[in-house]
Amino acid sequence: MATTTTAEETTTARPKPPRKQKVATPKPPWWLWVAVAGIVVFCLAPFYWLINISLKTGPDLSGADIVPPNPTLNNYDSIFKNDDFVHALGNSAIVSLTTTALALVVGSFCAYALARLKFPLKFFLLGLVLSITTFPPIAIATPVFKLWTDIGLFNTLPGLIIPYLTFALPLAIYILVSFFKEIPKDLEEAALVDGATRFQAFRKVVIPLAAPGLATAGILTFISAWNEFLFAVTLTSTPKARTVPAAIAFFTGSTEFEEPLGTIAAASVVISIPLIFLVLFFQKRIVAGLTAGAVKG
Amino acid sequence: MSKRFLLMLCAALACGVLVAACGGDDNGGGGSSGGGGGSTSGAKSVDPASMNNAKGNVTYCSGKDTSGDLKEGIAEFNKANPNLHVKLVEFPEDAQQQHDQFVQRQKAKSGDCDAFESDVVWTAEFASQKWLMDMSKYIETRKSDFIPSTLQTVTYDGTVWGAPRVSDSGLMYYRTDQVKTFPSTWQELYKEAAANNGIVYQGSAYEGLTVDFLEYAFAAGGSVISDDGKKSTINSPENLKALQFMVDGIKSGAAPKAVTTMQEEQARRAWEAGKATFMRNWSYCYALSQKAPKVKGKFAVAPYPSFEGGGKASVLGGHNMVISVYSKNPGGALKFIDYMTSEKRITANAVKYSKTPTIAASYDDPAVKKAMPFADALRQGVENAKARPVSPVYPQISEAIFKNVNAALSGSTSPQDALKQADTDINNALATF
Amino acid sequence: MEAASVQAGTPTGRRSRGISERRLAAYMVSPSVILIALVAAYPIGYAIWLSLHEYSVRVAGLSRWAGPLGLRNYSNIFSDTEFWQAVRTTFIFTAASVTFEVIIGMAMALAMHSAFRGQGLLRTVVLVPWAVLTVVTARMWQTIFDPTLGIVNSILGTDTVWLGQSPEALIVMIIADVWKTAPFMALLLLAGLQVIPGEIYEAAKVDGATTWQRFRKITLPLLMPALLVALIFRTLDALRIFDLPFVLTKGAHGTNTLSLEAYQTFTANNIIGKGAALAVVTFIIVMAVSFIYIRFVGGNIRGLAEE
Repeated sequence: MATTTTAEETTTARPKPPRKQKVATPKPPWWLWVAVAGIVVFCLAPFYWLINISLKTGPDLSGADIVPPNPTLNNYDSIFKNDDFVHALGNSAIVSLTTTALALVVGSFCAYALARLKFPLKFFLLGLVLSITTFPPIAIATPVFKLWTDIGLFNTLPGLIIPYLTFALPLAIYILVSFFKEIPKDLEEAALVDGATRFQAFRKVVIPLAAPGLATAGILTFISAWNEFLFAVTLTSTPKARTVPAAIAFFTGSTEFEEPLGTIAAASVVISIPLIFLVLFFQKRIVAGLTAGAVKG
Repeated sequence: MSKRFLLMLCAALACGVLVAACGGDDNGGGGSSGGGGGSTSGAKSVDPASMNNAKGNVTYCSGKDTSGDLKEGIAEFNKANPNLHVKLVEFPEDAQQQHDQFVQRQKAKSGDCDAFESDVVWTAEFASQKWLMDMSKYIETRKSDFIPSTLQTVTYDGTVWGAPRVSDSGLMYYRTDQVKTFPSTWQELYKEAAANNGIVYQGSAYEGLTVDFLEYAFAAGGSVISDDGKKSTINSPENLKALQFMVDGIKSGAAPKAVTTMQEEQARRAWEAGKATFMRNWSYCYALSQKAPKVKGKFAVAPYPSFEGGGKASVLGGHNMVISVYSKNPGGALKFIDYMTSEKRITANAVKYSKTPTIAASYDDPAVKKAMPFADALRQGVENAKARPVSPVYPQISEAIFKNVNAALSGSTSPQDALKQADTDINNALATF
Repeated sequence: MEAASVQAGTPTGRRSRGISERRLAAYMVSPSVILIALVAAYPIGYAIWLSLHEYSVRVAGLSRWAGPLGLRNYSNIFSDTEFWQAVRTTFIFTAASVTFEVIIGMAMALAMHSAFRGQGLLRTVVLVPWAVLTVVTARMWQTIFDPTLGIVNSILGTDTVWLGQSPEALIVMIIADVWKTAPFMALLLLAGLQVIPGEIYEAAKVDGATTWQRFRKITLPLLMPALLVALIFRTLDALRIFDLPFVLTKGAHGTNTLSLEAYQTFTANNIIGKGAALAVVTFIIVMAVSFIYIRFVGGNIRGLAEE
């Protein structure tokens, strides 16, 4: 019967994420290598400068040498001996991972409802979600601080996770909505025909297919939670709940004015590394995920 | 579609406003507190007798304890007082962030901090918001201990609001291998600087510039606001002389152009790299410069010279210990403050950590003289130092000063226009509700 | 089509399986809505409430309605030259930043799009600037542009005080922001490029189109959706920028942005009513810009909500 055939066809011919189009040149022209070199220098040179500073200590920091005259790992050593910093690394990991997991769950729920279900005020909801990206964070920080102080969430990890989650939602929802719309409705229809509830169809059919979109939204959320500074400083007061960006603000030299450039640089390098590895492993997924969003409209 | 969306959004926001209006009563309400002169009248006072049976927890909030003197003091206090336990909560190093963190807690009426390490210029601001406890009764019992100028920083509206713990006064660092005799006037010093490697100071657009500018201005005989605190007096011939002097100093090469972006650390780094003959900075640089190979053993420290046609002046820095009005253990907090500002503790801090004492007697201690060879210059600086304007709107006054002075220094306005604008800005600030 | 999914022989089909669509939608949407209401709507509502009053800086607890109509703070703001300067600075920064990010991002994307080994590695390298903390980025550029010890002045042989002069400080700020974000734009654009089928280019080449013509008539139009989405997110971010100028210059020398002005008034100077009004005005300006975008981009966003 027509219905079954269509179902079969669609289940066997699973849609793949859009294929990377390879330009048909067999050997890259010379100017391409120049461009690539340019890009690499553009992106990495300032970062190299950071590494450069992180390998210097003492009076060397006052100098402008491109290569450290007396390279040393002292700065790295001292930040890992710093209990507060190590603790902050742990806090950052917990907060970022939890935020990401929750953002994917909450975001995908909302995105699915927007993409597939019928209900009133849809456009309003979408606009509301997107309008969060227009809120100036400083306007949010103080009232949330007050609220958290009143209900006891101040200086706790959940106290950070909740705002991070909220601000991660717009981009996550947008990406996931685009992605869900890419998935042909027929698959869910088939599942419904087979007796699944809407929610089961969502869980078992749509989510697995949306893996690249989830990966994309996940990485973007993780990175923004990992790097977030304003709330981290406003909503925490002790190393108990402090994350790394806030902890760096507490790095000190031996006096109240001294600014320990070396250790700050070392800490910055250290906290960029997990992100770089994360991106290295998932960068294919990011591109595939963002592609889906671009196709829509 | 857009119109409907807009309407819906307004509805949502209106709900938010309603919720806030019903809930947000902390800043609302009419009642003014006391008419007449004392805007802070009726403030809660802390009774010295409450120290006697104090027990429980005390949280002390301060900027990061970089030298360790706070931690040491707290450990010793806890040992000597088994009934009390003091905990240290640290804020970031940046003074503005410390200010913001404390203000945020007070606005939220949080008892998070029992006592706080407050910069000297915040007293009026905090006291007028009734965030501090009146400590007059306590200070009465030991007024003569403290150097009078330090007590001035902690007095507002006829009341004392804290205890001075650490003071600071700027010093002139100079290269002994380039300067034979230390000049006796600022004018001579700048000439000497132009002939050598120049002078570096804090010229960036921040509080530090207010301090540096006022050092010249006060020495030239100028002032910022009138004695009754109601009008700006910044646009005066004396201040113009001082500002013109600073601007000419950059033009003549006595001070490098880069000084307009320098804070304490940048000036210190330029000095330690051997690129300057003179440096205006706080006492903390002494020990650090002794470790810098390019200047080690080649420099000395002196109090400021006088301004031709004026006199000598320095501006007081430092920190005071204050008690939050929302503290649940003011007696314990006071006991802790009493210990940390005792002569014994302050002298120990001077010897071990080079913290400038607020207690006169400490300077006479031989151990202190040994640890800080520039102790006399420092003491002179502290005793003769003038305070920055005392006003609840000090942050705005300071901004008016440093923004306009910095504009003049970097050449984007003339000194005359800068002072005119500063005058307008300060009067606006004083007119703040 | 609904008809195709109706179970054979059951006219009411879906409704009898599980809960109704509306109910399910309500459940699925509510966590997001609650979070938004709590963390975003309430603070903005609170800020609006605060902006309608004046709170004394001199006398504790003294406050009054900022009449007439609670709008005195707003009229003060609109007659304040500093505010308009901040608006100008913010818009100039946004325009310049986003323009350069698009141009450089596009160039990077085109280069990355050509096939060669090590594409994955290049993409990772490209994301490095975006992975570095904003506050650290700012410090880094501060040292690079330091007048005496920075590498820019030693290469150029000048002694310009970059962060201490009026147009230069804004230029450095733009450079820092472009460095950080152009790569991210490049990736978004790269993703868009990769969906364009190669055959179109082949056909165009056969017809004799030049590289530039191919770019203008094929690439750009097909890339539009991705480009517009990247533009809106970036523009809204740039309009609200705070971290970068705060660390670089604290807003001096022509780098005072709207968010910084609001922070200075609300937190540093403790003028609560006016500060809250500034935050609300910032919010309204950003909202207005996003509305304008949605009008132009229109179909893209609306399409998401349509069936």
